[in-house]
Amino acid sequence: MSRTRRPLALGAAAVMLAAALPFIVPHPFVLTIATQALIWALLAASWDLLSGYTGQISFGHAGFFLVGAYAAAAVTKHAGVSPWAGLVVGTLAAGLVGLAVGFPALRLRGHYLALVTLGFAEIIRLTAQNWMSLTGGPFGIYDYRTFPGLPVEPLAHRRAAYWVVLAIVAASIAVMVKTCEHTPAAKAFRAIREDEVLAATLGIHTTAYKLLAFGLSAGFAGLAGTLYAYYIVLVSPTVGAVGTTSLAIGMAVFGGLGTIWGPVVGALLFYGLNEALRFVGVVYNLIAVGLILMVFVIFVPRGLAGAAASRPRRRRSAARAGGERALGSTGN
Amino acid sequence: MWESVADFVVQGIVLGGLYALIAVGISLIFGVLDVINVAHGEFFAVGGYLVFASVVLMHLGPALGIAAATAGTFVLGLAVYPLLLAPLRRRLGRRPSGSLYLVLTLGLSTFMQNGLLALAGGEYLQIPPHVRGILDLPFTSVSYQRLLVLAIAAVLLGGLFAFLKLHRYGLAVRAVAQDPDAAQSVGIVLGRVFGLTLALGVALAGASGALMAPLFNVYPAVGFPLTVKAFAITIVGGMGNLVGALIAALVLGVVESLAVMVIPSQWQNAIAFAAMIGVLLVRPQGLLGRAVAR
Repeated sequence: MSRTRRPLALGAAAVMLAAALPFIVPHPFVLTIATQALIWALLAASWDLLSGYTGQISFGHAGFFLVGAYAAAAVTKHAGVSPWAGLVVGTLAAGLVGLAVGFPALRLRGHYLALVTLGFAEIIRLTAQNWMSLTGGPFGIYDYRTFPGLPVEPLAHRRAAYWVVLAIVAASIAVMVKTCEHTPAAKAFRAIREDEVLAATLGIHTTAYKLLAFGLSAGFAGLAGTLYAYYIVLVSPTVGAVGTTSLAIGMAVFGGLGTIWGPVVGALLFYGLNEALRFVGVVYNLIAVGLILMVFVIFVPRGLAGAAASRPRRRRSAARAGGERALGSTGN
Repeated sequence: MWESVADFVVQGIVLGGLYALIAVGISLIFGVLDVINVAHGEFFAVGGYLVFASVVLMHLGPALGIAAATAGTFVLGLAVYPLLLAPLRRRLGRRPSGSLYLVLTLGLSTFMQNGLLALAGGEYLQIPPHVRGILDLPFTSVSYQRLLVLAIAAVLLGGLFAFLKLHRYGLAVRAVAQDPDAAQSVGIVLGRVFGLTLALGVALAGASGALMAPLFNVYPAVGFPLTVKAFAITIVGGMGNLVGALIAALVLGVVESLAVMVIPSQWQNAIAFAAMIGVLLVRPQGLLGRAVAR
């Protein structure tokens, strides 16, 4: 098999295996967990697109997620918009907010960018909490339609919803991998991460590419939010708490930065592990998140993806080194 | 009208004193270690729990409680550098740290918050005021608890500034903040200064947690919103600039408090972030910051 086809074949096999899950384990609880794990995977991958590839560290992805979720829930509840169109509305809304945040953030790097995105996410959360007429305040939006045309019988409904989410998440991840590996943006993103000034000197339009990364990343985070909104059918401000961002970052660091697939695998494993540990107590899950963040940042900065690629394989070594620098090169 | 203005100003100054204790700690740690401590507010929460343990559970009296909270968070803070930051620093060597420390302390924050949740549960713990009674002024009145907060904040901050100015170790801390390499070459042990600075910074947060416990409730996530707001304050004041953080904190406290008269109170918390974004756009080095950032 040629080298370029190989990841494609692996990805297709993974998606087919994932699509067969409802037949392997036909249990509504397992399907619910799997669906939510996929939504987290999309959020973690969207963070990786911005922060892992271009090195622009965002602490505000919970905000983009929240914008997508609220936009979708609000247009469906108040304007009767079909959830299928709501997906697009939420994605676009989050993407536009991402551009709006990205624009002033263009001048900032490293620490400052992280803090500004954190501040923006807090403003978004406060808006959600206080704009009663649109967002329902602290109680959030509920009691609106989910995807139309899904079967009514509970197990069949869960199964269909799982496939919908799987299809959208898989397609989004394919788009992200394509963008980050096989387009002119791929090289520009890496160049910006390694040395922004040098990248600009070489004629790369760094402003445009940084905005592109911000918009795409926020849009996909928003898409994850819309999927959450239509799957859970309740959106409240707590979803956009900083904990959501740190969980997504934790998953991405766990999986391996600057690879897209690493954070996806990291999120799926992590979420699965989290749920499996639920009988021990919910608190311990987040203690584990904190521990994994600390241990991985100190000792395994390349994450699971780095560990998988550390067997001697010439092609991977460059990507591997890049993954480590993803977080390391954004100093001011 | 003017009575309520005076009321709000007094409350705002107390709030500003609290913000100052937290923001100065964050700014000090950033100035010396070049690390933004995302877990800062968790030490505020630990301070609250320590004062709860000593005052409510062990009936030790408020003075001992506040001292225990300050000392306890100082000791915890001493452990942070050698256990977490130093290993990463060693592994990185001379390579730029970028945002690794941010993610590291974010992990510490999540770990501590949920560790507290596991240890102490999620209830909102109430703590009786350290001192009772109200001081009547000509056109307003202040509870002694708020005055105590302000007085101790002033003493702690004054002590910190005096220590940095006068003490040998304070001189070492300032030397490292200016130029770590040069400081090392004159025989200052960097690791020791880093550990001490971190412990001092988080002890300020622990002390303020103990002081504010009767006014806020104590619960695991109590500190995080304060951390986020203190980030905004340190940026407005200029990162690493202690006087800037102090002034920005006091101004923000008063402005937030007065803003209730003009805007709905639930938007109060947005002021700090709006100010931060405004400052970053116009003057990224902060209002009092040096033009050359480290």
